[in-house]
Amino acid sequence: MDEKFDCIIVGGGIAGLAAAMILARNNMKFLLIEKGEFAGSKNVSGGVLWGHDLARLVPGYWEEEDGGWERFINHRRLTFMDEQSTFSIDFKSSHFNETPYSGVVVLRSKFDRWLAGKVQEEIDQSDHAMESFIATNIKVDEVLMENDKAVGIRTGDEEFHADSVILAEGVNNLLTRQVGLQDDYVPADHMLTGIKEVIRYDQKVLEDRFQLNGLSGMSNEFVGYSTDGVEGGGFLYTNRDTISLGLVAGIKDMREKEKSPHDILNTFKGHPVIQDTIKGGEVVEYSAHVVSSGDKRVMPKELYKDGVLLCGESANLLMNAGKAIQGMDLAMRSGILGAETIVKAKERGDFSSQTMKEYRQALDESYVMQDINNFQDAVHMLHSPEMFKDVPNLICDFGRKFFTIDNEPTKKSREMMSESIKEHSSYWDLIKIGFKGAKSL
Amino acid sequence: MNLMKLSERLGLVSYRNQAKSEIKPHIEVDTDICNSTCPHKCTTYVCPANCYTMDEDGKVHFQVEDCIECGTCMYACDQGAVDWNYPDPEVGRGVTWNFG
Repeated sequence: MDEKFDCIIVGGGIAGLAAAMILARNNMKFLLIEKGEFAGSKNVSGGVLWGHDLARLVPGYWEEEDGGWERFINHRRLTFMDEQSTFSIDFKSSHFNETPYSGVVVLRSKFDRWLAGKVQEEIDQSDHAMESFIATNIKVDEVLMENDKAVGIRTGDEEFHADSVILAEGVNNLLTRQVGLQDDYVPADHMLTGIKEVIRYDQKVLEDRFQLNGLSGMSNEFVGYSTDGVEGGGFLYTNRDTISLGLVAGIKDMREKEKSPHDILNTFKGHPVIQDTIKGGEVVEYSAHVVSSGDKRVMPKELYKDGVLLCGESANLLMNAGKAIQGMDLAMRSGILGAETIVKAKERGDFSSQTMKEYRQALDESYVMQDINNFQDAVHMLHSPEMFKDVPNLICDFGRKFFTIDNEPTKKSREMMSESIKEHSSYWDLIKIGFKGAKSL
Repeated sequence: MNLMKLSERLGLVSYRNQAKSEIKPHIEVDTDICNSTCPHKCTTYVCPANCYTMDEDGKVHFQVEDCIECGTCMYACDQGAVDWNYPDPEVGRGVTWNFG
C-alpha cells in the first residue's frame, strides 16, 4: 500500500473504534490496526459502559434485537463487606429504563466486534469505502517519527504512512512510551490488576436471582473484605446469561503484602454472602487486565505531539470517585474528540501540535478531564487504607449490632455506632475521612 | 460453588497458536536479576497466570505459555528484569477472549 492515509489508528478497542466511526463519518481515509484476530479479541473490562455517547456513535442501538451489549443498568448497589457480612446501599429505578440508557454492561469480545461491524458499515458509506480499512492480526512495532513528528507506523518489515496517528493501544501503552509521551518504566504505584470470572447460569435462574426484567441489569461494587486487605474493590455485573464477577487490586500493595490476585479472588468468592449470590453457576472464562487508579500522576506527560494523539487507556484515562468505575466511556469520548481534531487538522492541512493541542483543550473542557481533575481527592481517599479496611469493617459491625435482636435491652443506635467506631477506628479518623469525603465528593 | 484452582481457571482460556510447539516468547525475563539482587521476587505471586514460579531453592523461573497479556509483571517488577511486549500474531502465543 503506497498511498498515504489521513490517519492510522492503533488499537481496535472502544477508543480506537469511536475514533474510526467519527473519521468514517467525516469521509477521512484511515487505517485501523488491531493486533487480535478481531476487534475485541484481546480486550477485557469489568464492565459497564456508562453514559450516552454510545447513542451518538450508534443511534438507536437499543432497538437492535441482538446488539453488542448485554444488559442496561437500572439497579445499582454499593456493598461494604467484612469477613461475615455485607451492608449495601441499593438504588433501583424505572427512571433508568428510559432510552438512551445511562449504562450498559458489555463483554468486550462481543461488544467491540459488534461496534467494529458498525464502523465498517460507516466506512462502506463513506467516500473512501475502498480505501479505509480495519486490519486485524497486525501488531504495530513502532510509530515512525521524522523530526519528532509521527508519519506512520511499522509492522515487521512493512511501513504504512499517514498524516497522523491515533494511539488507542490500551493501558500497556508501549508505543506511547516509544514516542516519548510516557516514561519507559511506569511504576506500580497507581496501577491495579483487574481479574474476573464470567460465570454462566440458566438465563431464567439469573433473571430470577437478580430480579431482572427483560434486558435490565444490575451493577454491584464491593469495598472491604472483597480485596482481602489490599487496595482496590470488587464488582459484580449481570450479563444476558452470565455474570462478571471480579476485583481490582493494587499492584504495589500486592507486592508489599505478598498477595496473589487469584487468591484474593477466591477469598472474595468464598465470602458467605457471595457464595449465596453466585450459587450454581459454571465458570466459563477467567481473565485479567491492568487498569490505572485514575490518579492523575500516572497520566502521560502530554496527550499529543506533532502528528499523534493518545486516546483511552493509552492516556490512562480512568475515573472512580466512588459512584462508578468509568473507563470505557472516557475511552469513547476521548476517541470521538481525538477524531474530531484529526478532521480539523485535515481541513487546515496542519497536523502539527498546533492543531493537536486542540484535542487536549476539548478533552479538558469535556466531562472527562473536568471529572478527573475535580475528583482527585476522592480517588486518593478511595485508595487509602481506611476506605478499603476500617470503614467497611466499622459499617458491617454497626449493621450486625443494629440488626441483632437478642431479647436483651437494646442499646440506642448512637451508642452502637460509638462502640463500632471505637473498635475499628477512632472519632478523630472518622472526622478526617468525613471531612475529606465532604470536600472531595 | 467450589473455588477453582488457578490451573483450572487457565484451562478455560483460549490461546492463539495453541497447537504450535515452537512459539516466540513475547516477554523476556532476565531471571539473573530476579535470582541475584531482587529483594521481593514479587512476580511469583502477583502474576494472575502464574507464569513466574519459584523452585525449592528459591530460584525464579519464567514460562510464557500461560500468559494472558494483562501487563501486571511489567509494573510490578521494579528491578528492570521484565522486557514486556505483545505477542506476534503469527509466531507468538497470546490470548483470544471468548467473553472479554
